[in-house]
Formats: sequence, C-alpha cells, structure tokens
Amino acid sequence: MTRDGLVFVALVVGVLLASIWSLSAGAVAIEWSVIANTLFDLDGPKQDYIILKSRLPRTVLALLTGASLALSGAIVQALLRNPLASPKIIGINSGAALGVCLMVLLLPSVSLAYLPIAAIAGGILAATIIYIGADLRGASPARLVLVGIAVGFLCDAGVDFILVTSSDAQFSAPLIWLTGSLWARGWTHLGLVWPWLLVCIAIALSLFYRLDLLRLGPQTASGLGENVRAARLSLMILAVLLAALSVSVVGVLGFVGLIAPHIARTVLGGGHARLLPCAMLIGMGLVVWADAIGRAIAPPIEVSAGIVTALLGAPFFVMIMITTQRKIRA
Amino acid sequence: MMQFRASGGVRWPRLSLLILACCLCAYASITTGGRGDVGFWDLFARDTLAASVMWDIRLPRTVVAMCIGVNLGLAGLILQAVTRNPLASPAILGVNQGAALGLVFGLVFAPVSNALGLQTLAIVGAFTAGFITFAIAGGLGGRLDGLRLVLGGVAVGAFAYAMVRFTFTLEDDLSRQVLRWTVGSITDVRWDDVKLIVVWAGGGLIATAFIAQRLNLMALGEASSAGLGADPRMTLLMGAFVAAVLTGTSVAVAGPIAFVGLVVPHVCRMLIGPDHRRLVFVVPIIGATLMMAADGVSKWLTAPIEIPVGVVVALIGAPFFLCQALFADDIE
Repeated sequence: MTRDGLVFVALVVGVLLASIWSLSAGAVAIEWSVIANTLFDLDGPKQDYIILKSRLPRTVLALLTGASLALSGAIVQALLRNPLASPKIIGINSGAALGVCLMVLLLPSVSLAYLPIAAIAGGILAATIIYIGADLRGASPARLVLVGIAVGFLCDAGVDFILVTSSDAQFSAPLIWLTGSLWARGWTHLGLVWPWLLVCIAIALSLFYRLDLLRLGPQTASGLGENVRAARLSLMILAVLLAALSVSVVGVLGFVGLIAPHIARTVLGGGHARLLPCAMLIGMGLVVWADAIGRAIAPPIEVSAGIVTALLGAPFFVMIMITTQRKIRA
Repeated sequence: MMQFRASGGVRWPRLSLLILACCLCAYASITTGGRGDVGFWDLFARDTLAASVMWDIRLPRTVVAMCIGVNLGLAGLILQAVTRNPLASPAILGVNQGAALGLVFGLVFAPVSNALGLQTLAIVGAFTAGFITFAIAGGLGGRLDGLRLVLGGVAVGAFAYAMVRFTFTLEDDLSRQVLRWTVGSITDVRWDDVKLIVVWAGGGLIATAFIAQRLNLMALGEASSAGLGADPRMTLLMGAFVAAVLTGTSVAVAGPIAFVGLVVPHVCRMLIGPDHRRLVFVVPIIGATLMMAADGVSKWLTAPIEIPVGVVVALIGAPFFLCQALFADDIE
C-alpha cells in the first residue's frame, strides 16, 4: 500500500474512533458495548433515547459540517493562494450568522426551513462586499484578507446588537448557538441541510482539477484554457454555500476551515485530487472531536465546540503565520 | 514655521467647538435614562429620589464613560504611533481581550477580591497579549509587518476571547455577566468604579504627554528616532506599558470595548494633524465625546431596554475599520 493509502486509512479509522467516542462521551457516559447494541439493534443493554435522539444526530451533523467547512477552507485558500485565509477569517461565516439573526429577528413566524437560505444570503452578501471592496484596490491577497476581517467585525457587531437588544429570552437563547455549538441539535436540523451539503460536497470534490489550475496563478491557468473569472466565481459561490449551510445549523465554528486544509497540504502535498478528500476527513474528525471533548471535559457542563476549535485553532494560526514568514524570508 | 503659526490663536475656535461638543454629549448622556422625567436640573435638587437617580446612577456612569473614552483613545494613539500602523488599536491587537482574560482569571481561579489586584491582573493580561501579538508580527526581529500585526492580533484576540467564554462556561455564577465581558457594558457602574478609573485616566494622560515627543520621533522611523536621541526600543516599551495600563484599567471597569482606540486617533489626526504633542490633549476630548454620545445612544435607542455601550461603539467603529481596510495605503 502506498503512503497516501496509509494516510487515508489512518484518517478514516481516526474519524470512526472519534465518532464512537462522541457517542459515548457526555453527562451520561455510555459503554462501547451499549453503543453497539443500540446502533445495530443487538440483544443486551441499550441507551436508545440518549444515543438515537441526541448524540447520533449531533455526531452526524458534526461530520457533515466538519467536511463542508474543511472543503470551503481548502477552496478559499486555493482561490486566494494564501494559507492564512479561511471562510471565518474573510468574514463569510459572520455574514451567514448575521443573515440567520436578521431572519429570526425580522420574520419570527417563518419556519426554520428557511434558515439555510438566510445564511446563504448573508454569506453571499459578505463575500460580495469583500470581493468588490478588494477589487477596488487591485485585489491583492493582503487587502482581501484585511477587508474580510473588517467585514467579519462588522457582521459580528450586527449579531451582537441583535442578540443584546432582543429583550425576549425566548428569542435570544436559541441564538446563542450562533457562537458555534452543537448543543441541542437534532434530526430536524440535520434534515434541513443534509441534501444540500452532500450535493455541495460532491461538487467540491469533483472540481479538484480546477483548483489545481487556479493554484498555478491566473496567467498560467488561462493559458491552459481555463476561464479564470468564471472558475473563480463558481468556486467562490461553492465555498460560500458550504460555509453558510453549516453556519445555519451549528453556528460559527472558527478555524476548522483553516486547520484542516493546512494539515492535509503538509501531509499529502498541494495536489487537490488528494488534498480535498484528506482535508475533508480531517475536518470531520476535528469537529466531532471538538464537540465530544466539549462534552467530556467537565460534565454535565458543555463547552461549545466553537470554543474548543478556537482554543486549538488560534495557536495553530499563529504557527502557520510564523512558518510561512520564515519561508518567505529564506 | 508653519507648525509654530498653526499652534497660535487660530486654533482656539476649533478647540472651543470640540469642548462644546463634549459638553453637549455629556449633557445627552446624563439626561437620558430609564426615568424620562428625571432631567439635568434634578442634579441640583436636594434629597429627592430624582436627585439620587442623577447622583448615584447617571453621573457615575457618565464619568466612567468619559474616562473610558480618554483611556482607550490614548491607548489607541500610542499603539498606532509605536507600531506605525494605522489599523493598530487595543481591540484589533488583542490587547483588550487579553486584559479581559487576565481579569476573568482573577475572578475565577485566584479569588482576588480587591479591585487593585484585579486591575493589576488586567494590566498584566493586556501587556502579555500585546507582547505576543508584537512578537508574532516579527517586531522582536525589528521587522514589524503591518498585515501580520493585524492577523496576529486577531488570532491572539480570538484565543483570549475563547478562553474567556470557556471560563464562563465552567463558572455558572458568572455566566450571566458574559455579555459584559465580551462586548463591554457600563450599565452597573457606581462611584466605586469611578474611583478606580479616574486616577488612571489622569495619570495616563500625563504619562502620554511626557512621551508625546518620543511618539513624534517614532513616526520618522526607527533610525531617525535613534539619531535624534530617543531610543525607539525605549519608546516602544514605555508606550506599550502606558497603553497596557490604560487598556487594562478600562477593561477592569467596563469590559472590552472595541474600536474607540481605532476611531478616535484617526478623527483627531484629520482635525489637527499628526503632531502628538497636540493630539495628546485632543484625543481625550474626542474619546470622551464619543463614549458619552454612545452611552446616551445606548440608553435611548431601544428604551426602556439598555444596550451594552460596547455594541453601540462597535456599530460605529466596525464600518470605520472597513473604510480603513479599504483605503489605508501602507498595508501591503
């Protein structure tokens, strides 16, 4: 077996182990044998309610959102050709969160099914502002990242404003998950997004060759027959869809879109045919693990997965910054 | 020669306009509040409930808003000067969040009850966060990179912010205050808090005035600064220390209020130019004006509910930051 094959096998095993741990960890710790009994309907002690109603949908949701955030990050990094970029850093996640908040605020009677649409609208709006804004000044990667940070701050301010001005606790409490938590997510939330997410993930995985072309730079890519503008636009929309859909169900989970593609690139190199699935698996494992550790660290209190990913991701971000700086200087 | 003439009498009308604006905002801050029937003149009433509302609730709040404007404005001025980066400010460099983390550590893990101990922890947190951001941006090697400074600050801020939220998750009693610690609020301040901050605001102003000339020399570049007899490393250290004290003390009273430190120095530079010896006296006026106006708005906008003042400031400051990110020239 080749080295790449080994890496993939290891990753799949890792994701499976993390998922099992996620099913067992929490306020009520559950034995692995009980999990097996429940999942496969065997004889013996079971925990139907906790596992099937609470932890299983949560784990599946974590797997899906982890995959989509990681792919979104990989696409954004390839488009901007900047290892420090991610949907969170350039403000897309915050835009989606603002979209969700605005919808709940302005149209409280509309059903939850429209949350993903509101998130996508917010994400697209943020991305448009970032792109136009950066384009005004020649769209250098540095400018783009900076404008993205600013747009993110702006959307965060809007979200904070909506959260604190809603005097109604009934209203603001459900919005707390916007800060990145899988708490109380169930089958209904999964039902909202899984078809869309699966389609987007499949499209993203199949577009690896476009990303490879774009990574060569705009001149080379168009020389090789690629319509750079169209490819960039469609990929950007795909990245926004992936990020916004996951924000609409689990809130802003920072740094997953940053870490996963970066680790994948370090392990398997820059070719997107292997990088994308590898990043996807790492993202899945990361979110499942972050959610599980948040439940396991001090039961019965739950620490949001968003806090765990931020605590892990911020130092990681700094590390990437310092190492890329060394490379540039050398 | 221009400078000399410019600092003459011509400036007085503008300065008096600023002071007038400041007084108006103070008036706006002090007359708005939950009880609409209580107004300015109740300050001079004797022993009535209305007078008590003015003296015990509104006046300390207005004074604290003023002091925080002074503190954060000056901290932003110093940070922008020593890093020579127009985007530097306590919130963007992670200094605010670092101070909040230091303070929360004091509240939760080491039960420090006296105010001075808490303030010290906040100052230490602010200084540490600023130092880490500076080191990440390559400042220790003498090559401070503008974009890396902002990115590093965002990372340090995100980390400290996540730690603050993590700590609050574990500590149920404190978690109701979480908004105060993430956006900044002065709803519950009393005279005790005023005592804590007013001394530092005054001391910080004097200290900043003393290093104003050094900050001017920083603008010429490190080599020129050294050539003119002001060691840039010394300036940096002094500036960072004063900025950490100013930020830490204001965070200890009101939580991390963002963007005041970014907006105020820019507005002042637009008004009176880049000379820090004059900026140091105008920044506090504009900072206080902005904060008192924001305080008034926070009480008035969604009355009878009060919004944390940090949210109001963020709604003003974030678009400003966006403009800066779009139009500032020396970033790339």
